[in-house]
Amino acid sequence: MNTTNDLLARYLQAIGDHLPAATRDDVLAELRANLQAQLDDRSEELNRPLTDPEVAAILKQHGRPILVAARYLPQQSLIGPAIFPYYLMTLRKAAPFAIIIIFLANCSNILFVHTLPELIAGILRAIGLLIPDLLIFAAWITVGFAIAEYVYTHHDAKPFGLSWDPTKLPAVKPQFKGKSRASRIADLIFHCAWMVYVLEIPAHPYLILGPGELYLHMLNARPAPVWHLFYAAVLFLLFFQLVTKITAVFVPAGLWQTPLNFATKVLSVLFSAWLALTNVYFVPTGPATNLKFLADVNHWINVSFRIFLIFVILDLIVEGWKLRPSFQAKRLVF
Amino acid sequence: MDANSNSPEPQIEIQIESQIFDSLRLELRRGCLILAVLAQLRAEHYGYTLRKALADQGLAIEESTLYPLLRRLETQGLLTSQWREEDKRNKRFYKLSLAGETILAQLLAEWNSINDSVNNILHHSDQRQS
Repeated sequence: MNTTNDLLARYLQAIGDHLPAATRDDVLAELRANLQAQLDDRSEELNRPLTDPEVAAILKQHGRPILVAARYLPQQSLIGPAIFPYYLMTLRKAAPFAIIIIFLANCSNILFVHTLPELIAGILRAIGLLIPDLLIFAAWITVGFAIAEYVYTHHDAKPFGLSWDPTKLPAVKPQFKGKSRASRIADLIFHCAWMVYVLEIPAHPYLILGPGELYLHMLNARPAPVWHLFYAAVLFLLFFQLVTKITAVFVPAGLWQTPLNFATKVLSVLFSAWLALTNVYFVPTGPATNLKFLADVNHWINVSFRIFLIFVILDLIVEGWKLRPSFQAKRLVF
Repeated sequence: MDANSNSPEPQIEIQIESQIFDSLRLELRRGCLILAVLAQLRAEHYGYTLRKALADQGLAIEESTLYPLLRRLETQGLLTSQWREEDKRNKRFYKLSLAGETILAQLLAEWNSINDSVNNILHHSDQRQS
């Protein structure tokens, strides 16, 4: 075999490696005839046999074997253009629910931990598991739509939403223009009223406990010292919000408000975590206290705060997701 | 030296413009190539001579595009093919089928209609500008 034929045979063999057996011989025979004619043509032009580099240059120009073979394969896509928009919409709509369900499921162990490191480890584990679990969720959605694509292309099924009615489209949403000045002032007044209410709680505990205050007397129990610290922290948060609300009256909501709201939510998570880690909320006032019953009350309040903590963390994740930078693929739009 | 002379921004802009042009050109050519191949195959050709004939008339097509296209058009019933010996070598010759002739006539009518419309748009646009 001369070198021209050798190079050509090797090239065709490389292409054949990527072709289906059913059409391989036919495609290779046709390619051989075309390429041989091209090589002969070039040889005639030069009036001499082609050298190895010249043959190699022609084959190189013809294309990389794997790519040449790919052109002979039927054009396939996992999810075609007719179904892809529905696939994307499903992912977008289902993602928030998936995040909530997966996070709540992964957080369940938080209810049974007793120390701060265990609590932090439990929360970090739940957050860490979000990404792989979401990928699995996306994979299942993709498999579902790939099956739909197969049915659509192989069984001549109708694509989704082929029949639609413009009159059934949702009404135009009103554009959000931010809160009016009157609304911002009202917000400030309500916040001040709320602060007065909170400031009155130490002098009048029934404002927060309601009839529960009488129950505490009957139980011979009183709030634990942790509430004093928590009360101070709440007052700090309320004063912080007061400053932002006063500012908002004079400066309309702008870019500054979003990170500020996020910071408030972070503080809420920290305070909730603090309460969730506290085991004693009410302490006995004398020997007449039913200690077992009081221990049960403290336990269930603790469980409630842990459940509350899961929800505020979830809220923080959702807020954090909204703050993510939006990436838009660069594409031509016609 | 001008401070902006070393700025890479104009080069990037030219590169993006070139990419956009290449992408649009590819889309524009895709349909035209099929029309040209069908028209050229009113006379029988095998792959290499068809490519040469098209290139001689100013429409160069890469081999890796043309040869699979011929098979696809044959699968769609627009071409017929047969293996025949020529110059002591077996070659696969393609020719427009009856169905291909009908489709070609319809595509040519569409092509002429688009061509006329674009010319009209350009003509009116030129008139408004002047």
